[in-house]
Amino acid sequence: MPNTLSRRDFLKVGGAAVGALALSEFIPPRVAEAARVSGLLDSTSSGYIPTMCEMCVWRCGVLAKVEDGRVVKLEGNPGHPHSNGNLCPRGQSGLMNTYDPDRVLTPLIRVGKRGEGKFRKASWEEALDVVAKNMLKIKDKYGAEAMIFSSTHNLSQVQFENLLNAFGSPNYGTQRSLCFNAMIVSNLMTYGMEEPDRSYENLKYIILTGRNLMEAISTSETSALSKAIDRGAKVVSLDPRFTKTAAKSTEWLAIRPGTDSAFHLALLNVIISEGLYNAGFVANSTTGFDKVAASVVSYTPEWAAAITEIPAETIRRIAREFAAAAPYALAHNGWRTSNFVNSFQTERAIGVLNAIVGNWGTAMSAASGEESGGLGAPPQPAYPRISAQRLDGVPWKYPFVPLKIGVFQELREAALSGDPYQPHGWFIARQNPAMSLPDRGRTLQAFGKMDFIVTIDIIMNDTSWFSDVVLPEASYLERYDPLNIVGDKAYLRQPVIEAQGEGKSALWIYKELGARLGLADFFQYTDEEDYLKQQLAPLGVSLDEVRQKGYAQLPGESGESPELNWNTPSGKIELFSSSLDRAGFSGVPQWEEPPAPKPGQFYFLTGKVAQSTQFGTQNNQLLHKYSDEPRLWMNTAIAKGLGLADNDLVEVASTAGKIHIKLEATQAIRPDCVYLTPGYGHLSKGLTTAYGWGASDSDVHVTYTDPISGSQALSQTFVTVKKI
Amino acid sequence: MKMQIAINRRLQVSPLVAVLLTLMGIAFVVAMVRYIYGIGAISNLSNSYPWGFWISFDLFTGVAISSGGFLMAATVYIFELKQFKPLLRPSILTAFLGYIMVVIALLVDLGHPERIWYMMIHMNPTSVLLEIGICVMTYLTVLAIEFAPVVFEGIKWQKFAHFIHRFIMPFVILGVVLSTLHQSSLGSLLLIQPAKLYPLWWTPILPILFFVSAVSIGLSMIILESSLSARYFHRGLETHLLEKLAGVIPIVVGTYLIIRFAQLGLAGDYKYLFSSGLMSVLFWTEILVGSVFPLVYFSFRKNRQSANGLLFGAIVVLLGMILNRFDVSWFAVRHPDPLTYLPTFMSGAHYVPSLPEVAVSLGIFSAGILAFGLAAKYLPVFEEEEPHAEKL
Amino acid sequence: MTDIQHKAFLFDATRCIDCRACMVACSVENKIDMDKTRIWVAGVGLIGQYPELKRASMVYHCMHCNEPDCLSACPVGAYSKRNDGPVLYNKDKCIGCRYCMNACPFGVPHFDWDKGLIDGAFIDKCTMCPQRIDKGLEPACVATCPTDALVFGERADLVKEAHARIQAHPERYVDHVYGEFENGGTSYLILSHVPFAELGLPNLGERPVKDVSEKVMEITIPFALGWGTVLTGTAVAVHLLNQKKAAKAKKVEEEQTEEAVK
Ligand SMILES: Nc1nc2c(c(=O)[nH]1)N[C@H]1C(S)=C(S)[C@@H](COP(=O)(O)OP(=O)(O)OC[C@H]3O[C@@H](n4cnc5c(=O)[nH]c(N)nc54)[C@H](O)[C@@H]3O)O[C@H]1N2
Ligand SMILES: Nc1nc2c(c(=O)[nH]1)N[C@H]1C(S)=C(S)[C@@H](COP(=O)(O)OP(=O)(O)OC[C@H]3O[C@@H](n4cnc5c(=O)[nH]c(N)nc54)[C@H](O)[C@@H]3O)O[C@H]1N2
Ligand code: SF4
Ligand code: SF4
Ligand code: SF4
Ligand code: SF4
Ligand code: SF4
Ligand SMILES: [Mo]
Repeated sequence: MPNTLSRRDFLKVGGAAVGALALSEFIPPRVAEAARVSGLLDSTSSGYIPTMCEMCVWRCGVLAKVEDGRVVKLEGNPGHPHSNGNLCPRGQSGLMNTYDPDRVLTPLIRVGKRGEGKFRKASWEEALDVVAKNMLKIKDKYGAEAMIFSSTHNLSQVQFENLLNAFGSPNYGTQRSLCFNAMIVSNLMTYGMEEPDRSYENLKYIILTGRNLMEAISTSETSALSKAIDRGAKVVSLDPRFTKTAAKSTEWLAIRPGTDSAFHLALLNVIISEGLYNAGFVANSTTGFDKVAASVVSYTPEWAAAITEIPAETIRRIAREFAAAAPYALAHNGWRTSNFVNSFQTERAIGVLNAIVGNWGTAMSAASGEESGGLGAPPQPAYPRISAQRLDGVPWKYPFVPLKIGVFQELREAALSGDPYQPHGWFIARQNPAMSLPDRGRTLQAFGKMDFIVTIDIIMNDTSWFSDVVLPEASYLERYDPLNIVGDKAYLRQPVIEAQGEGKSALWIYKELGARLGLADFFQYTDEEDYLKQQLAPLGVSLDEVRQKGYAQLPGESGESPELNWNTPSGKIELFSSSLDRAGFSGVPQWEEPPAPKPGQFYFLTGKVAQSTQFGTQNNQLLHKYSDEPRLWMNTAIAKGLGLADNDLVEVASTAGKIHIKLEATQAIRPDCVYLTPGYGHLSKGLTTAYGWGASDSDVHVTYTDPISGSQALSQTFVTVKKI
Repeated sequence: MKMQIAINRRLQVSPLVAVLLTLMGIAFVVAMVRYIYGIGAISNLSNSYPWGFWISFDLFTGVAISSGGFLMAATVYIFELKQFKPLLRPSILTAFLGYIMVVIALLVDLGHPERIWYMMIHMNPTSVLLEIGICVMTYLTVLAIEFAPVVFEGIKWQKFAHFIHRFIMPFVILGVVLSTLHQSSLGSLLLIQPAKLYPLWWTPILPILFFVSAVSIGLSMIILESSLSARYFHRGLETHLLEKLAGVIPIVVGTYLIIRFAQLGLAGDYKYLFSSGLMSVLFWTEILVGSVFPLVYFSFRKNRQSANGLLFGAIVVLLGMILNRFDVSWFAVRHPDPLTYLPTFMSGAHYVPSLPEVAVSLGIFSAGILAFGLAAKYLPVFEEEEPHAEKL
Repeated sequence: MTDIQHKAFLFDATRCIDCRACMVACSVENKIDMDKTRIWVAGVGLIGQYPELKRASMVYHCMHCNEPDCLSACPVGAYSKRNDGPVLYNKDKCIGCRYCMNACPFGVPHFDWDKGLIDGAFIDKCTMCPQRIDKGLEPACVATCPTDALVFGERADLVKEAHARIQAHPERYVDHVYGEFENGGTSYLILSHVPFAELGLPNLGERPVKDVSEKVMEITIPFALGWGTVLTGTAVAVHLLNQKKAAKAKKVEEEQTEEAVK
């Protein structure tokens, strides 16, 4: 198969043995000691130490395998519900992230022009002083709100939020509006919770709406789905591409992009008109059924067939099969649901679908939630009142988007327009907006508007490349983080390798910076271990015990899921949402025609591959080794028609921008779509393995925001493809 | 008279010598690169083509064309057909040099040439390659002994020459046995590839086919080498002897053809004869050129009697038979192409030798020719009167 | 061959999602160079025409044949097979002839094409992770597989398990367990939803490919001795015959001279 690494490419990473890299550092003494006490490490200092993966946000439990006092490999922790003893390829390659020769290991201060990549090494003292000085300067000159803070979800986020709240800026950007806002906001409207838990144990029927679980891996959920399939559960996969998930599904429906809501509305139509819903559950646990029933009358399978290009009888059959399998059926709400401006309606339809057939309590249950669990926290003075409105339009423009979630792309737009006011500084942690935001050109312009940009990262990512100061965090294998609650346990991330170079934990960085910003009172912990001890105090367990087991048991019977009460205005599952209705949006899920490509244009699809995470792991030599070369997928027949062949260099162009990339003619995609693996086409020359490999779809993506959920519509970009 | 010849020789060959020396030089440089940066640095060999031009040319062809040595030894010593004596020494010399070339080539091809002697201490009795290794090494010693008298005579140590001659017989017999073994075993080497070697070639009786064809190759080599040296060194050509040898060739290739087609028939492989595209073409070229042609050609006395006729015939036989060696060890071998996504690790089933690869073989070959020339010039390889004839 | 008592893998192509975690795991566990691998993806990838499609890929590494051809071929005995399954390679004996690569019908052994005399060019191949299985752990590739497409255990049990899976879902599988008998039985058993050729697996008989060559090797020494005797015999016979001839000729000559004298 041609979709491979070329030899040329191998020369670059060739030679180096993983072992050689993985054998340089030692285990922090206290951690080793604890493991010895618990017998995890034997007399020869060989054995295992529990910690946690951070190669993606799923955070699987890891057992770091130790030989002669050195970590040589990572294994899945059989005792952790997210790994069950397995790690995905990214998790397996974690050591290579820590030992990446391109790691940033000292604070850096820019000397050249922005984007030139010229930096000088600096001490933490100097670097933090520079950061504090600039932040305070901006605060004095324009007010605290002129500092943007953005970070992608991670375990020290609490203290990141603490820092920005204490600093007094309302402008908080997370990755979520580029990811799952449509799903989260819809679930909040429907179920009063961000995302109900799913259980696959007894499922007989699963509809995946663009959830590519076999490639966009969450180890435990991926294996749960796989086992369900082995058991004979029926899986219907809606995806314009024949993904590896579609390949494992019983049925692949190559739906027309943007029309998923039509499909699900038609399912509602059939199930309601044929009376296949769970009347009892609807009556007891939901509100607004009649309004939904009335609204879906016109959404017949025949109507949907014309829109989705899925035959009416197929839709009708699936509706009946789904209802028949209920309550052991699940319409998966997806994860990265940022596809079209109507994705929110899709999510609502899915939510309603699961509700009316009564899948609650079998396939879905109340989320245990991350904030719960009665952990302690350092004492905190009240935050300063913030009068300034948020640049991202939450809540004044996006009333339903939670403050913690925000609408990231709007932050950037405000920076460009200066409306409602001009931000002047950007504090970025564990995030790569230069790649993850659509329309990279505009993101770089927004950087240009900033007097000061500081990034906390472990490598010279593309955002760091454009920053004035880069602060090196210790990698997830080299640091402590706040505890992570999963179910009835709080899991520990502890360093299994002494931090290399000057790397420091985010907890340390925020505290030190806080002190320099005159916010010391907000960071009342002496160090990471003290922080953890304060978290554990209410539980009465010592840090050493937790170090040994890798987790702390939380109060309350284990396993048993919380009561079925929904945190909605009505306290029930809201099929009809009065809040949406009041705000002038449709209270019931409805069809909204999305824009479609003009003749000669293609839907431009994005989607994960198993061998990389977002925009941060392409420089990992081990993942690079086993990755396919990112090429533009195009349907074979269409490619032929356009006189394009495999590996032709093509230009992909939208109103936002152009990229050049090799073509891959494949049967595995709809004729009206093209697809490109995200995460490649890095700008930073500081990523020696990834630089020059593939192209960035973010260069081409046009920014469209769903007015309700604030979700970016990543599949709504239409492109032309021509040979060059 | 000798002097006279010497001058002619020099005039004759010096431009050739220049070419040969250059080729050797190039080969040497390439070999050094290989020893420092690895085989991949100079060859197109890959995980799906672990063997290539070197094995087909230097090993398979090299050994086959050296079979004249044991044939003549058998003829002269065992069957005491003394009239062939004049052909004995040249063919022993050819064989001797031939095998030295094989070994040198192996020293380039082996991943660990410095360990070649491990074959003597770690022996795996099921390995055909081991048998070949041992045979070649031992036979090389035997050839050295068989050729020693010529050297001693050259340096006028007649006593030693006599001494060795007294005990030559056991070595001759050993030599013939070893040759029979490894000439056929080169065929056995491929028995382990039933799944890879195309059915037109793979058969349990590969060793027998290899031996028979080796005989025809050996005979043709003797003709070739005598004719050429006669041309270069202005010696009388023993046409009457060569005619006799040529007369044997039809019998040998005839037998070969019978065995080969009988086998294909019994194995029910006739279906591949014409249906296998390139494979069929290769098969028929090798059969027509290497066997059918000589069968007919050498049946005519006039072809056998003219110097040019002999030379031409011999060359054609060699081409056909050498093609067979290439087919069996390369062209007809289908290496596994596990359709991999990551061919960086199983780099496809395609192979064309690189120039440096060929250069190595050419260099070694040149060395052989040069050595032959020198020996012929300074040692009594072609002397008409063989002093110890009586003592046989 | 189902009676062989040792460890084996069972790979189920219907479960494999081609995530390559097994490959990364192997590289780390065994400290493999960045440009080498012991385990790789094989298969045609996609089969069919849009929208009627199938994916076909398998994870490829040493089959740990019950009758290893590599082992039979190696002149210096660098290969060995452990009773409990693993087929192992000993770099200290290897002379780098690469005959094992020709012998292996699966193209498993790989060579250090990029190494000269100083670094030392060796063969590498999957070892079944003895360092792990001796501690009762699964091989690295198996341990991490999120879908249990790779499992490890007693060969006999896995053969049963494989047939059980086919029985349970005949519609899902090709009704054959590759490696149960192929090439004399392998310790890498494979289940598939597509013809095995689509996974890049060779079509092999039940006798290992080394079969004929080993039989020939068995008769080699007897043959050599026999052939030697025949040749000696011939030589002696021919010599005596010629001597007789010579003597006769002499006699005739003498007689003639006698005549002449008279
Ligand atoms: N290996 C790996 N795993 C990951 C991640 C990673 O980066 N790498 N990231 C993690 C994160 S943060 C997230 S959010 C999740 C995301 O996991 P998923 O929710 O699976 O998201 P994607 O893989 O981005 O996209 C899924 C599919 O949506 C399809 N698609 C595009 N437009 C449409 C449409 O209009 N309709 C339908 N039905 N399908 C469409 C694409 O073809 C793609 O195959 O993965 C998580 N897991
Ligand atoms: N075109 C396109 N755009 C997308 C998506 C897509 O599929 N295609 N997916 C969307 C989705 S689902 C999401 S969630 C977002 C993600 O968008 P982002 O969060 O901006 O992208 P990531 O690559 O996850 O950023 C992670 C950064 O953290 C760094 N990092 C890794 N480990 C550590 C650590 O321990 N400490 C610190 N300080 N830094 C660390 C990495 O080097 C990387 O730079 O992107 C969205 N944007
Ligand atoms: S899913 Fe993979 S990358 Fe994400 S946490 Fe688990 S092992 Fe790590
Ligand atoms: S880890 Fe398992 S699923 Fe992933 S590629 Fe390997 S065998 Fe297949
Ligand atoms: S697969 Fe090849 S290398 Fe592995 S044991 Fe069998 S013959 Fe030997
Ligand atoms: S390469 Fe090494 S292991 Fe392979 S056959 Fe030759 S000597 Fe044996
Ligand atoms: S068994 Fe061990 S050596 Fe073999 S592929 Fe799996 S991990 Fe690699
Ligand atoms: Mo995401």
